[in-house]
Amino acid sequence: MAAFQERPVGFFTDTSICIGCKACEVACKEWNQLEGNKPELLLDSFDNTGQLDAQNWRHVQFIEQIPDNNGVVMNPTPIAGGQAWLMMSDVCKHCQNASCLEVCPTNAIVRTEYDSVFIQQDVCNGCRDCISACPYGVIGFNEKTGTAHKCTLCYDRLQNGLQPACAKACPTESIKFGYLDDLQAAADKRLAALQTAGYKKAQLYGRDAKVYGGLNAFFLLMDEPEVYKLPSAQNATLPSRNNLAGYAGGFVTAVVGLVAGVLAFRSQRMNEKTDATR
Amino acid sequence: MPPAEHFAAPPNWEWWILAYFFFGGISGGSYAIGTLLRLVGTPADQRAARIAFIASFVALLPCPLFLIADLGQPLRFINMLLDASGGGLSFKPWSPMSLGSWALLGFGLFSFVSFLGAVADGGWHAADPIARILRGTIGAVWNVIGTGLGFFVCGYTGVLLAVSNQPVWSDGWPLGGVFLASSLTGAAALLLLLARSRRDVDAGTSVRLELADRNFVVLEVVLIAVFLVTVAVAGTIGKMSGVWLLLWLVVILGLAAPFAFTRVDAARRWAPVTAPILALLSVLALRALVIFSAQT
Amino acid sequence: MDRARQLYVQGRSTWGYETEGAPLDGPPGTTQARAKRDPTLQHPRSVFQLLKSHYSRYTPEMVSSITGIPVQQFNDVAKIVGEMGKPDKVMTIVYAVGLTHHTTGGQLIRSGAVLQLLLGNMGRPGGGMNAERGHANIQGNTDHAISWDILPGYLRIPAPGQKSLDDYVAASAAKKSDPNSWNFFGTNYRNFTVSLLKGWYRGVATTSNDFAFHFLPKPATNSSWMSIFDQALKGKMEGVILSGMTATSIGPDTNQVMQALSNLKWLVVMDPLPTTSSEFWRAPGMDPAKINTEVFMLPTTHWIEKDGSFVNSGRWSQWKEQVIPPEGEARHDHWIMADLFDRVKTLYRQSGGKFPDPILAMTLDYNDPKKPELAEIAKEINGKDLLTGSQMTSFANLKADGTTTAGDWIYVGSFTDAGNLMKRRNGVQDPAKNDPTGMGFYPTWAWSWPANRRVLYNRASADLDGKPWDAKRPGIQWNGTTWTGDVPDYPATMNPKDPAAWLPFIMNGEGTGRLFSSSMLDGPIPEHYEPIEAPIPNPLHPAQSEDPVAFLYDQAAGRPNRFGKVDKYPYIATSYRLTEHEHYVTQHVPLLVGLQPQAFVELPEELAKEKGIRTGDRVRVTSERGKIEVAAAVTKRLGPLTLAGNTKVYHIGIPIHWGFIGVSAEQNPDKSKYWLANALTPFVGDVGARTPEFKAFLVNIEKID
Ligand SMILES: Nc1nc2c(c(=O)[nH]1)N[C@H]1C(S)=C(S)[C@@H](COP(=O)(O)OP(=O)(O)OC[C@H]3O[C@@H](n4cnc5c(=O)[nH]c(N)nc54)[C@H](O)[C@@H]3O)O[C@H]1N2
Ligand SMILES: Nc1nc2c(c(=O)[nH]1)N[C@H]1C(S)=C(S)[C@@H](COP(=O)(O)OP(=O)(O)OC[C@H]3O[C@@H](n4cnc5c(=O)[nH]c(N)nc54)[C@H](O)[C@@H]3O)O[C@H]1N2
Ligand code: SF4
Ligand code: SF4
Ligand code: SF4
Ligand code: SF4
Ligand code: SF4
Ligand SMILES: [Mo]
Repeated sequence: MAAFQERPVGFFTDTSICIGCKACEVACKEWNQLEGNKPELLLDSFDNTGQLDAQNWRHVQFIEQIPDNNGVVMNPTPIAGGQAWLMMSDVCKHCQNASCLEVCPTNAIVRTEYDSVFIQQDVCNGCRDCISACPYGVIGFNEKTGTAHKCTLCYDRLQNGLQPACAKACPTESIKFGYLDDLQAAADKRLAALQTAGYKKAQLYGRDAKVYGGLNAFFLLMDEPEVYKLPSAQNATLPSRNNLAGYAGGFVTAVVGLVAGVLAFRSQRMNEKTDATR
Repeated sequence: MPPAEHFAAPPNWEWWILAYFFFGGISGGSYAIGTLLRLVGTPADQRAARIAFIASFVALLPCPLFLIADLGQPLRFINMLLDASGGGLSFKPWSPMSLGSWALLGFGLFSFVSFLGAVADGGWHAADPIARILRGTIGAVWNVIGTGLGFFVCGYTGVLLAVSNQPVWSDGWPLGGVFLASSLTGAAALLLLLARSRRDVDAGTSVRLELADRNFVVLEVVLIAVFLVTVAVAGTIGKMSGVWLLLWLVVILGLAAPFAFTRVDAARRWAPVTAPILALLSVLALRALVIFSAQT
Repeated sequence: MDRARQLYVQGRSTWGYETEGAPLDGPPGTTQARAKRDPTLQHPRSVFQLLKSHYSRYTPEMVSSITGIPVQQFNDVAKIVGEMGKPDKVMTIVYAVGLTHHTTGGQLIRSGAVLQLLLGNMGRPGGGMNAERGHANIQGNTDHAISWDILPGYLRIPAPGQKSLDDYVAASAAKKSDPNSWNFFGTNYRNFTVSLLKGWYRGVATTSNDFAFHFLPKPATNSSWMSIFDQALKGKMEGVILSGMTATSIGPDTNQVMQALSNLKWLVVMDPLPTTSSEFWRAPGMDPAKINTEVFMLPTTHWIEKDGSFVNSGRWSQWKEQVIPPEGEARHDHWIMADLFDRVKTLYRQSGGKFPDPILAMTLDYNDPKKPELAEIAKEINGKDLLTGSQMTSFANLKADGTTTAGDWIYVGSFTDAGNLMKRRNGVQDPAKNDPTGMGFYPTWAWSWPANRRVLYNRASADLDGKPWDAKRPGIQWNGTTWTGDVPDYPATMNPKDPAAWLPFIMNGEGTGRLFSSSMLDGPIPEHYEPIEAPIPNPLHPAQSEDPVAFLYDQAAGRPNRFGKVDKYPYIATSYRLTEHEHYVTQHVPLLVGLQPQAFVELPEELAKEKGIRTGDRVRVTSERGKIEVAAAVTKRLGPLTLAGNTKVYHIGIPIHWGFIGVSAEQNPDKSKYWLANALTPFVGDVGARTPEFKAFLVNIEKID
């Protein structure tokens, strides 16, 4: 099959129709031959995967939003009624301004012809700086390969004209793959429909440039971003924001330190001199 | 400003990194103090300057090893400097780790040469030509540039942490300054210890080192305070409390020692050895505290 | 209870329509009674008025006190549902085992059907009472008579006393009760049955021997799942073959099922993987030394390793390809069965037997009778015209004279001389071409029974004049000369305005939807009964709380009933699936085990607080029949229910997927000892279908320290 055109592609993950089946998690592992972490019983609602990491490039979050009302739901539209079981399939956001790419010292992290953010496994040396930088906790370190791993946006599949495995497996089409502009148009339509239907908190995350210049893998959320462990637009900051202040602080400290040192050694010399003339 | 929220995963930087931060800081700090002693000190201070340059290089020696050992693919350490995919150099000025790698390389050169000069002065004549050059203006310039690089090595580690999205680290831009100041206190303490252990070092030098040490401590305390304020504003200061208060105690003890020991009579006898050791432990504790607390 | 059952059973003969007028013509030489009709619906004994008064007792308050649903919420839902009775609206009800796993399962489904009939949602695209089938091929299973009480194509299993084909058809085929009723099924019953017999017994089945009708078994006993194990418990079973079914994990009252297996002389398990049945003798609590059952494991291929068809909930039979080749010594089920049959046949031929004829006469018209291809079987199921040798194309052409065959009449047309239509794949690649009506019928995608029709009873999608109820959602419509749209279930050129035109519900004797049915054992109009184990007496009639005709196996066999009471077992439990696992088989799939690694139960936060249980704690859940020991998952999703006015009841949710076999069980040998959910469930089931009552029973829960 022909490869995809070389223009921005991405995901529109519509959490409002996710059923939490985790087919995406499994499909990703199958395609990418990830064996998964050792099974662990977390029982965080129905989640036993825990987080995105080197073995989990998709992770379905389960968020139980049930106010204390003796389990009585008075409103038949659950989310409007304040009672909801939110599910969201999380993944690398393929940020326009990618924190991981920014800090990577080896240029192992690159932007591909599809505008995705990709870790070149043969270049990465496992310094893990990208892990400290990614604001979404996406990247994990694989002890066996000694390198950092995350969603590749199925780079290998795209080059062969196949859509990403997770999107392909998703039975509800909660994960929609496509060219970014098409996805954005679809997302706008979907959001409008939900808002008309009374889902007032529904919102798009990463659709526009407010977080990290826009996310190529963006989401439709049914509540505030923090609920899904996503930084809000205000909190979505790049690591490099601290470069200037950090170095400036260091520079000032260096100067003051030098002055402090000179003062210490000079003042003693004065004493010595007076001593000598005495 | 709303409190920062962090959803980043920890990079699991642990003991190797702590060791590097410690030794790198001591090395850079020692070099700076060596330069100060050489350029503004008395002739009597020159012995101590030599010790400082030697100490700087010895402390620096294991640093690349720590860093390489920490890598998942140690053999690819060279990718920090050479771009394995695009060809050419890997040089990303906005990436502290990239910049730091180059700085470490550069500082290694300066430290090594100064080390050679110092051992030549100490009687290893093979290096005499180097020592001769270093004694002149070129030497002064060399020391000043080396100090700049040394400071960079001390401080960039803090910037490296700050340039991330980790709680605490990225909430505290002053970390670079904090580490730099603490490198100076640590280096001063180490040199004091070394100076006192050697009879040939002038007693006045020790006194001046003590004074410098106390100045550095004041600087460090101020910076720690600024750092804590920034972290408190971001709302993540809680991460550094709990069990970490024990490490804070070590930090504080080390910072207080140079002052306390001169005042408390009973401690005076032990002060010459104990205070610097406590100060060094404080340097270690501070780094451990910052590195580990944010990642748990 | 016994007396209630007796009265009930005696009363059943009185369930029927009042009749009037001249009888209608039946099969040659017979007549059929004409049901009395009142199109105004006013007659107090009309079905409509009876329904109305029957259900007037189910006030919102009553519904609330039975189910715990708040009145307001019920009214909200009722309002939405009520609005679906308009022509421009349509609603579907999709159900699965939430309805069937009750002693009243059949009635629950019927109540949904009655509701949909009243709302006018039957036969319309997007309407209906739809079974969401279970295993990938459960629909195909029932179509091809995996159930104990039917022959292929939902023909009834003959009953004792039916001496001839005539007897059988007279007792089984629906009777016409309205002159405008086509009564298609009843009318063709004989054609279908004879074609089936001709398919099976070919040359031996002739007019002179009633097409070998006497070969068919006429069982006097119930052979439902529970009945089989009941017989084993009674020591009346010598051996059992389990193929693709894990009795010890799936059946109610596991401990009793294992007892039943221990009573066998031999057990054959045909499965690609070890199961709790093939290993039942080493289950925790079993003493292998005391079990004399000889267990044979016949490794089969998994369905991924063979081709064949899956039939989905919409009755689309979709041919699939083999995905991977078989591993090791695994053999296809149908090859094992064919080989087994061949050996049995040889034995009969060599040494005779009580009744060898049906076995010796069985037609096995395959290239290699010991290794039939699934395509050959599919072709045989479709059937052929014995005179011309060509494949049948329509069940309407099946004959009762022995010139046609059909292994399953509803599949006629699926595999014609044009080939295997189930392989067709014209779908969303080109919707304009492949879905000409735009209604999602995709008529050349696979093949659906009957006759590739996509919506059953689609005559009801149009009004009496043949106009769609909703122009935006046409099923079929009359264009003046012919019916267009979906494959009509109506004669293609029958003018709806013709006074002799058939009524829309072509399969029923009435020609209309059955608001009243005499075919259910526990009543012609659905009624609420509490589960056998219930926390409250039935608010409608406390004196007769549970289904009066529920069959109590233990009691009937002289074993003590093992039902718990609310004093000892105060909590309601229900059992269900998780998306991450397919019953018990995915216990062998590491990636899925990773998603849901260990057995757990869900319990409400309030109850957990009372009991000091936190998420992750180990708990023991007990019923009158057994126990499980699993992790606790505390959740607010399960709130307490208020029943019978003011009784507060907690609900415990039990996912069913674990046992002592599989990746996780092996990794956690101590923890996994008591992971079989069905150790708790009661050995009782639906009155007719005998589907076990997995969805409601009583338990207690405590923390394991
Ligand atoms: N992932 C996965 N999918 C499967 C299977 C599997 O094992 N795993 N199994 C397949 C099979 S064989 C089957 S039969 C189907 C079964 O599919 P489902 O019918 O969905 O199966 P359950 O999860 O057992 O039960 C469904 C729901 O019934 C509800 N319920 C319980 N009692 C009542 C009641 O009285 N009234 C109503 N309205 N609801 C009630 C429960 O809340 C529960 O959520 O799933 C099929 N699909
Ligand atoms: N408490 C409680 N109990 C329940 C239920 C419940 O909701 N609650 N649900 C019930 C329902 S609806 C069902 S359907 C049952 C499910 O019960 P089962 O059908 O027994 O469950 P599976 O694990 O799907 O078992 C199928 C077996 O078939 C094997 N298999 C797969 N493919 C093939 C093949 O091609 N040939 C052969 N021979 N074997 C094959 C698998 O390895 C597996 O061991 O559980 C029932 N039990
Ligand atoms: S989500 Fe994280 S890993 Fe993915 S591109 Fe953005 S910063 Fe990089
Ligand atoms: S771990 Fe690899 S990808 Fe991440 S920053 Fe280091 S070199 Fe780059
Ligand atoms: S795009 Fe590919 S690599 Fe990324 S999560 Fe989906 S399946 Fe995994
Ligand atoms: S596959 Fe789709 S529906 Fe299932 S969990 Fe993933 S995103 Fe949700
Ligand atoms: S039928 Fe649908 S829900 Fe069931 S396993 Fe297949 S894709 Fe999943
Ligand atoms: Mo099922």
